[in-house]
Amino acid sequence: MKKAVKYWCGFVMLLCLFTVFTAFLPGYPNASLKFPYKQAGLTPEQAAAHLLSRFTYGATPGEVEEVSKIGPEKWFAQQLDAQLPDDSLNQLLNKYDALKLSNTEVVAQYPKGAQVLRMAVRDGIVNKDSVKTDRKAYRDQLQNYMQQNGLKPEQELLRQFINQKILRAAYSNNQLQEVMTSFWFNHFNVSIVKNDCSQYIPAYERDVIRPNALGKFNDLLLATAKSPAMLYYLDNFSSSGNKENMEQGPIRRRLMQQMQGADTGRFANMPKLNKAKKAQGLNENYAREVMELHTLGVDGGYTQQDVTQAAKVLTGWSVYPMGTYGQAGQKLMNRIGDEKLQSRGFVHEGDFLFNPNKHDSGEKTVLGHHFAAGGGYEEGVQLLDMLAHQRATARFIAKKIAVRFVSDNPPQSLIDKMVHTFMNKDGDIKQVLITMVDAPEFWSAAALREKTKSPFELAIGSVRSLHADITQPYQLFNWINKMGEKMYYYQAPTGFPDKGQYWINTGALLNRMNFGLALASGRIPGVKVDLAALNNHHEPESAQAALMTYCKIIMPGRKLDETIKRLTPMLNDPKLMEKVGEASAKTLAATALPVTASDEMMDQQAGLKGKRKNNFIAMQSTSGNNSMLAQVVGVIIGSPEYQRR
Amino acid sequence: MVSRRGFLKSGGLALLGVGLLGGIPGFLAEAAASEKILSPYKKKKTLVCIFQRGAMDGLMAVTPFTDDYLKAARPNLFMSAAKSGTGNPLIDLDGRFGLHPAMKAFEPMFREKRLGIVHGIGSPNNTRSHFDAQDYMESGTPFNKGTSSGWLNRAVGLLGHDALTPFTAVSMTSAMPRSFYGDNPSVAISNLQDFAIQMRGNPAGANIAAKSFEDLYDQTASGLLKQTGKESFEAMKMLQKTDIKNYTPANGAVYPSSALGNSLKQIAQLIKMDVGLEVAFAESNGWDTHFNQGTENGIFARNVADLSNSIMALWTDLGTYQDDVTIMTMTEFGRTVHQNGTGGTDHGRASCNFILGNDVSGGLVYGDVKPLAVENLEDGRDLAVTTDFRSVFSSVADKHLAINNDHILFPDWKGDRVNVMRG
Repeated sequence: MKKAVKYWCGFVMLLCLFTVFTAFLPGYPNASLKFPYKQAGLTPEQAAAHLLSRFTYGATPGEVEEVSKIGPEKWFAQQLDAQLPDDSLNQLLNKYDALKLSNTEVVAQYPKGAQVLRMAVRDGIVNKDSVKTDRKAYRDQLQNYMQQNGLKPEQELLRQFINQKILRAAYSNNQLQEVMTSFWFNHFNVSIVKNDCSQYIPAYERDVIRPNALGKFNDLLLATAKSPAMLYYLDNFSSSGNKENMEQGPIRRRLMQQMQGADTGRFANMPKLNKAKKAQGLNENYAREVMELHTLGVDGGYTQQDVTQAAKVLTGWSVYPMGTYGQAGQKLMNRIGDEKLQSRGFVHEGDFLFNPNKHDSGEKTVLGHHFAAGGGYEEGVQLLDMLAHQRATARFIAKKIAVRFVSDNPPQSLIDKMVHTFMNKDGDIKQVLITMVDAPEFWSAAALREKTKSPFELAIGSVRSLHADITQPYQLFNWINKMGEKMYYYQAPTGFPDKGQYWINTGALLNRMNFGLALASGRIPGVKVDLAALNNHHEPESAQAALMTYCKIIMPGRKLDETIKRLTPMLNDPKLMEKVGEASAKTLAATALPVTASDEMMDQQAGLKGKRKNNFIAMQSTSGNNSMLAQVVGVIIGSPEYQRR
Repeated sequence: MVSRRGFLKSGGLALLGVGLLGGIPGFLAEAAASEKILSPYKKKKTLVCIFQRGAMDGLMAVTPFTDDYLKAARPNLFMSAAKSGTGNPLIDLDGRFGLHPAMKAFEPMFREKRLGIVHGIGSPNNTRSHFDAQDYMESGTPFNKGTSSGWLNRAVGLLGHDALTPFTAVSMTSAMPRSFYGDNPSVAISNLQDFAIQMRGNPAGANIAAKSFEDLYDQTASGLLKQTGKESFEAMKMLQKTDIKNYTPANGAVYPSSALGNSLKQIAQLIKMDVGLEVAFAESNGWDTHFNQGTENGIFARNVADLSNSIMALWTDLGTYQDDVTIMTMTEFGRTVHQNGTGGTDHGRASCNFILGNDVSGGLVYGDVKPLAVENLEDGRDLAVTTDFRSVFSSVADKHLAINNDHILFPDWKGDRVNVMRG
């Protein structure tokens, strides 16, 4: 009961804040804007439901009415502005101490296994040869060493990072910003699977993607190009010009040696290999993907010659030395001083370092644009700017956004409008989104519920639909993984494909159904659902009434006749309650009561006592809620209708 | 939305099939109908691929034991083919190469010419990064990161028929491997028992829910969800008919109780259920032996024992299905010729791989392993890659699965095949 009151207070406060904020809205979109949903035959409520299905991770109970009351245009403007307060979310995130760390701090506090070993050997704590004799003793030694030095395993960093994403997606009031953050992360994908870049991924999302998610495309592209995560993921950090074209500065040789030391991770114990890597020279990986995947698209009209030339332009774009391996390089840098470095053509901005000694200083031509010799860092910035403003880029990005927000096969007429805005508004992402929502194609019947939810969208959407209380976000990550979307682990730079066919296969589909059942019946540890509170503790009059009520709460603004019709026989099966009752009785008997009487336990017992007669809500056990209601809600979450948005 | 699978091409045939045999899952009937084959239980050829993640030391698995350079470079790791003392020597395959003694299970297959080995195999891209090398090998495009599909997924698209079932391509992994990325239907599942509607502690509830789900998916307007839902429930029911949990392997086969053993056991079950499995994928981990690699005992020996015993258990278990199955291993690169300072080996270039089956032209160590003199080594340190992995993979795909469209299977590759298969 207390819980419900808390929810209500939160609700009312939120509503108040909404009202206050809407009074001081800046000019996005302009006041005259009127989304053309009425022309498409949609009621304000249906329009709100569609809008929420596209720009949030799912409507929370009551949200459709709220948005239709505020007006879809106003709501969208708030979301574009992304300034709604998120106090309760921030409170939840506060307990994750790793989320605020800079890359330098992360590297220092969450070193990789090989790094820890080197440090321990260096400090004389672990004898290298002990590896050979006693593995367990060696592991214990390492663990002690880590504890004493305040070092933590990298896995812990990644766990906190994944948890924060789940909490933000589930609870942030600035939903569009979160959705766009996912969109751009996937567009500029980097992967935890690649050991070299995994440590830098939390800061990549936080400092590179999220702040630019609703900004200018050009800024976003440049920020990704300079980030350690991308520099390591697509190997540009190691790319260097031909010897004859490299600057021969006085500190070049020393620096080359030191800089290679900044390459952390698994090559650490292989000095010979580092030598081999040094000799590699030009690496085209980033240059190719920046054109194929980030800007122009595979049919964007560039040649292999353009790729090679662009790679040369971007030589020397590297990472400022950090961590234990970077210590020597850092010392050297400090000794020389930023000022002197600058005068020699170095550029040091945060984690980014342009190293002119690795840069190919010759002339280059990319897509017909000529770069004169000696362009240094600036020619790379110009190259990215030029790529960001190509029409091919506008087409590629506009289509990708339309696929994400409208349908797997968006109409060309819509894409054309978005391309026009992209070109005329300097790649302003907000303006492109406004153009999309302002187009009739966005509201057409062909677009409604045409998208299939990804596993992440399904999991977060369900949590939002049921107002679930998440205390262990990682449990949801495990389910999302099981349903086929191991977030942040997608290996290829393409990112996850954005189409229904990719997500829906037999194994994944069954797991979606199982997820619905597990969530609704309280069998996902650390994810608590209070089904009675969803309906303000009004007991449904009958099984049929419950079905109608909960379908409407979970899937607002939709025609649900078929779903309800198909689920009705399940409720009317006379043997059904008996069967479920028997099963739950067995489970109850088999489960010993936990020793500690947590709030959760008290709630459940109260529920049992108060509503024993009502099979719909009762029959909660410590191992899950076996009530008919949980069953119904689980089936709704796993139903085909709920897989669509 | 059009379903990604071919729909019934010949209604009459399908009806006949179902009518005659009754209770056949629709996807099999459909598959049969579209292939114009009366019996849906027509056996399919299956290719089982095993990825050894971490880079196997090919020089220890199959050692050129007459090479003095190798002996000098590996004072603590080199093994001999000559019997000495109590230890087990290498298994002399051909007077030049010796099989690691922990892989003795492979020996009969090699002698019977049903096991082929390719040595000096690897990628033309000389990266020594696990990530990059695996990525390139699995996408099949060693110089292009942006290839969205994996080579095995493209293989599914080239099978030459659209009679795909939910089990045409199965990866026994929790997440989809890079090899399986792509548009053609494929499934990643680490445990076949997960192929069910489940509610822990409430099986009755799960049954009721399953029935409701089936009804709901049957009526949905979304073609994709409807079709996949139908197949899911059919597949589920079929698996329920067999007792997956208490499966007893045939012919006294004993699978190691390892992750790989467990994966291959489940692949055997799928093959024997005739559910249309054509491309199977499993993983073997722990090959990154920088430390204390061991010789006839130790980490490496345990790994190769697990690999060979798991594969041989699958082979034995298959029994009469052996003719339809080819098993192929792969690993991202090999390891340094020289041992390192911690009793292990570091990242190198070429390794070796194993291809096993009745249509393999076995009993041979294929490839071109030059004497390990400095001038023959890649970058002066590693066993040189003399066989592009694609020249072997394409040969196996062609002869076993009748896939001969190399420019789709391996775009940008124009090399020659190394024919390791009969015929």
